Amino acid sequence: MKASFDEDFDVIVIGAGHAGCEAASAAARMGCHTALVTISLDMIGQMSCNPAVGGIAKGHLVREIDALGGIMGRVIDRTGIQFRLLNRSRGPAVQAPRAQADRALYRTEMRHVLEYTSNLNLRQGVVTDFVIEKGHVEGIELQDTRRLKAKAVILAAGTFLNGLIHNGRSTYTAGRAGEPASIELAESLKRLGFPVGRLKTGTPPRLDGRTIDWEAFEAQPADERPVPFSFLTESIEQPQVSCHIGYTNQEVHKLIQDNLHESPLYSGQIKGIGPRYCPSIEDKVVKFPEKTRHQLFLEPEGYDTYEVYLNGFSTSLPFELQQELVHEIRGLEETKLIRPGYAIEYDFVDPRELKHFLQTTRVQGLFFAGQINGTTGYEEAACQGLLAGINAALYIQGREGFTLRREESYIGVLIDDLITQGVDEPYRMFTSRAENRLSLRFDTSDARLSPYGKNLGLIEDTEWAKFSARRDRIARLRNILLETRFKRSDPEYQELARILQKDLGDSISLASISQLHEVDIPLIFNLLPSSFRSQTKLSDLETSIGDIIYHGYIRAQHQNNERISTQGDVQIPSDLQFNVVSGLSHEMVERLERIRPQTFAQASRIPGMTPGALTTLLFFLKSSKN
Amino acid sequence: MSDTIVALSTPPGRSGIGVIRISGESALLLTCSLLNDPNFSPEPNRVILKAIYDPDTREVIDRALVTFFHAPHSYTGEDVIELSCHGSPQLLLRVLDSLLFFGARTAEPGEFTMRAVANGRLSLTQAEAVRDLIEAQTHAAVRQAARQLGGELSARLQPVKDSLLDIIVPLESSLEFVEDDLPEDIVRNISEKLSSLSAKLDELANSFRRGRLLKEGLRVALVGRPNVGKSSIFNSLLSSDRSIVTEIPGTTRDTISEVVNLEGIPVLITDTAGVRSSADVIEQLGIERTRRAVADADLIVAVIDGSQPFTEEDKKIVSEASESYSVVALNKSDLESFRIHNAQQLAQDLILIPVSAKTGDGLTTLCAEIIKPFSANYLDENSFVITNARHFDLLRRASDSLESAGELIRGGLSEEIILAKLYESLRFLGEITGETTPEAILSQIFSSFCIGK
Repeated sequence: MKASFDEDFDVIVIGAGHAGCEAASAAARMGCHTALVTISLDMIGQMSCNPAVGGIAKGHLVREIDALGGIMGRVIDRTGIQFRLLNRSRGPAVQAPRAQADRALYRTEMRHVLEYTSNLNLRQGVVTDFVIEKGHVEGIELQDTRRLKAKAVILAAGTFLNGLIHNGRSTYTAGRAGEPASIELAESLKRLGFPVGRLKTGTPPRLDGRTIDWEAFEAQPADERPVPFSFLTESIEQPQVSCHIGYTNQEVHKLIQDNLHESPLYSGQIKGIGPRYCPSIEDKVVKFPEKTRHQLFLEPEGYDTYEVYLNGFSTSLPFELQQELVHEIRGLEETKLIRPGYAIEYDFVDPRELKHFLQTTRVQGLFFAGQINGTTGYEEAACQGLLAGINAALYIQGREGFTLRREESYIGVLIDDLITQGVDEPYRMFTSRAENRLSLRFDTSDARLSPYGKNLGLIEDTEWAKFSARRDRIARLRNILLETRFKRSDPEYQELARILQKDLGDSISLASISQLHEVDIPLIFNLLPSSFRSQTKLSDLETSIGDIIYHGYIRAQHQNNERISTQGDVQIPSDLQFNVVSGLSHEMVERLERIRPQTFAQASRIPGMTPGALTTLLFFLKSSKN
Repeated sequence: MSDTIVALSTPPGRSGIGVIRISGESALLLTCSLLNDPNFSPEPNRVILKAIYDPDTREVIDRALVTFFHAPHSYTGEDVIELSCHGSPQLLLRVLDSLLFFGARTAEPGEFTMRAVANGRLSLTQAEAVRDLIEAQTHAAVRQAARQLGGELSARLQPVKDSLLDIIVPLESSLEFVEDDLPEDIVRNISEKLSSLSAKLDELANSFRRGRLLKEGLRVALVGRPNVGKSSIFNSLLSSDRSIVTEIPGTTRDTISEVVNLEGIPVLITDTAGVRSSADVIEQLGIERTRRAVADADLIVAVIDGSQPFTEEDKKIVSEASESYSVVALNKSDLESFRIHNAQQLAQDLILIPVSAKTGDGLTTLCAEIIKPFSANYLDENSFVITNARHFDLLRRASDSLESAGELIRGGLSEEIILAKLYESLRFLGEITGETTPEAILSQIFSSFCIGK
């Protein structure tokens, strides 16, 4: 074993998936000499599962990543082939963008963005071990005997750690289909004493689009006005395509029931826990036997390929059976499978090992991001990568770590949940996980987070100018909405009263009109003073109206939360022995010791904490403070 | 020497004024901390207006009247501080919490009185009354307390919480899983369901009044115009001769209170001065106290002389009493001229009980009528009661949130806003039963609906 290093970096990121790309990009742009090491340079930014970004809560995460200066939103805006804003009929707090991606274009674009980032170096190789000196990370070792030095290392290994693919009764080690797993690295984590568990996820078969009877499916077109992910994107230029919706049927279900013994999920072959919100078709059929059909989406993989992703049909049944099942589906009678679906089990590390900066408590300078922390999803991975990259840079520069609060972001909710609660199945973001859902709209991510991005140096001056301009435009619009009033004698008033079929009082402000649920955005737009209409963007108007409609509810919610939040900031000393707090039961002490919360708010979120125990703890903290 | 104890001395629940009593060696010291005034050394028995500070934020949370009673010249015989604060339950709780934080201990039921006895401040006769009171409290209230400790409130709230989750889950699913193939009719009749839930919570919350009575005792005021026999009835109820009974109208110039034990519930009976217009200053003072006693009472016994035609004053008294929970005692049933049917013109739906203070006729019925809605049997058979002011407050808030959610639904607002109110309600309930985590809601979604593209 040679003692010297081949290359010397500030930050090394292991893995070039969605977490790794964000991490490397952020660290490099914050001035760190950064290396991004991956098993295959051709698979940078690969979407292992469905070719899509965003959705409810996930779209919120991408907007937040973008607002902080991350890259995912920009890349999908250039490579998305079907944009849709979900939940359009509901309030803006639960709307979110989603886009199908051209899988290959996304990879190319991501690699392009990284290659044009200064301080950022791509390296291909299989990482086998960490170099650790006196509890500090010093670098990494590669399979080909290269040694790379670093002050901080971010591990973003995805499903590669001890990855084991199941297809029927056959299993083989792999990180993704066709790519080798990271076995030695997984072993080295165990050697370091990290508590490692197993999770499972799965993916459906891919179809030959030329053999699909498209007439049998319902087309789902893209939005006419695509809503981009990045605040910097003016408009989506690339042509938009449709997805198609179809259904399974009883014949499919029966065939699955009859062959359950072939499924590694039901034969006991798979030990890892899979996500309940992304069940395999076997699970759907077994758990909901009363359902006569399950919805399927045919998603195009890209412009220049006939490969089609059969979303909703994730399975680990044997290949021949998958082919047989697909033939039972209406419209797919003649369809050939290009790639079979499969299940994959992989190692993850209990995220309660981490501090809020995503740094491990066991090894100084070692950060974890993405699926290794028990999450699932590209967006969940990417936001952790971004935060890990930022914090690795801050760590090296001797600056204070960066965290986001639950109250201000989904990213804050995600990291706080991971670190205080741990996971027992792959963690996915949902809007209902956020206590302050109404305040965390996708279209206010910039207002909430971009100032942080600017301070961190991830938002450039030209981008900041755009941010400021939008902020000012929205403030101005808000004032116009509040100040513009219509009297009974105004023609606009009469027209409005006629459309809505109700009395609007002696006069009504545009702000009040926009709170009426019968009123839509174009109508408000037309009621704006004509001098403003030409210079007003619809998206700005939507944001300012969103601010107005939720204002009262957010204030009421805030008042109710006040008691909790004022106490929530009470710090818990990191060296506090909870057993010295008199009045805490043994069980409560155990829970607190396991999680080791840093603030009272975190303690209050530990499952099973009783109000009595919390009060006891609060009194202790306050009296010891004095 | 004993430690310093603190408790709310006025009944829990919303009221004009809430009195917090602190007794023990460090009473004054604790008060200094609470008032954020280390040099506070009040003259005994003088009322001083002072600001109370939150120990944490140092902000003023209330302005209270502070009275210092120097040992041994106090109720307990120890140094006592009484704080008359504004009567909001949350505020009082905050002041109490602060005092606990500074080192006081919550007084056990009856502990102030026990200390008074121990320090020789109460006579033997008075002590007997106290013992009765405490025993009465333990008799019926202990069972109630044991029930709450055993988690019965929590158990009773569970079905309400489950029904609330049954509303939240489909609403949340329809928002969160918009791309999934959910049944179309999952969100239905929510408005009706919410009304019924909020009614259930109100019912529980409203039992607080009865719960409080169990714990604190029932306050009964005897009212009526002079010389109708209030004091005679009072004395008969007490079987003692405490009130001076004379033929001169207006003899009872002050209010006199005694505690009797009726079926295990402590009942504080107050004999009031006769209500009538009077120029006599002392009597005026007594009448003022009467009005206060009436305002404080849980139940009013309007005493009417049934042997005489009803006067305008009688009608006024009965109509005022009927605004509270009340019983009409038609006295002097022993006299020839007594006519019960005359009383019907006073009020249609009042409970009329003919009594004779002189012979004792009808008094048992009167007692039974006073105690009826609060008696142990009634409570056992009919309902569970809330005795904790905090629980009462949380139930009311939970119910209010459900009601506003219902209004939002009828106003056609979007699900995320309605859900914000439903979660608010769930959080209030959670402070009693334990929190419902987002994880628990998600679990229910996944077990109810087939989610997953």
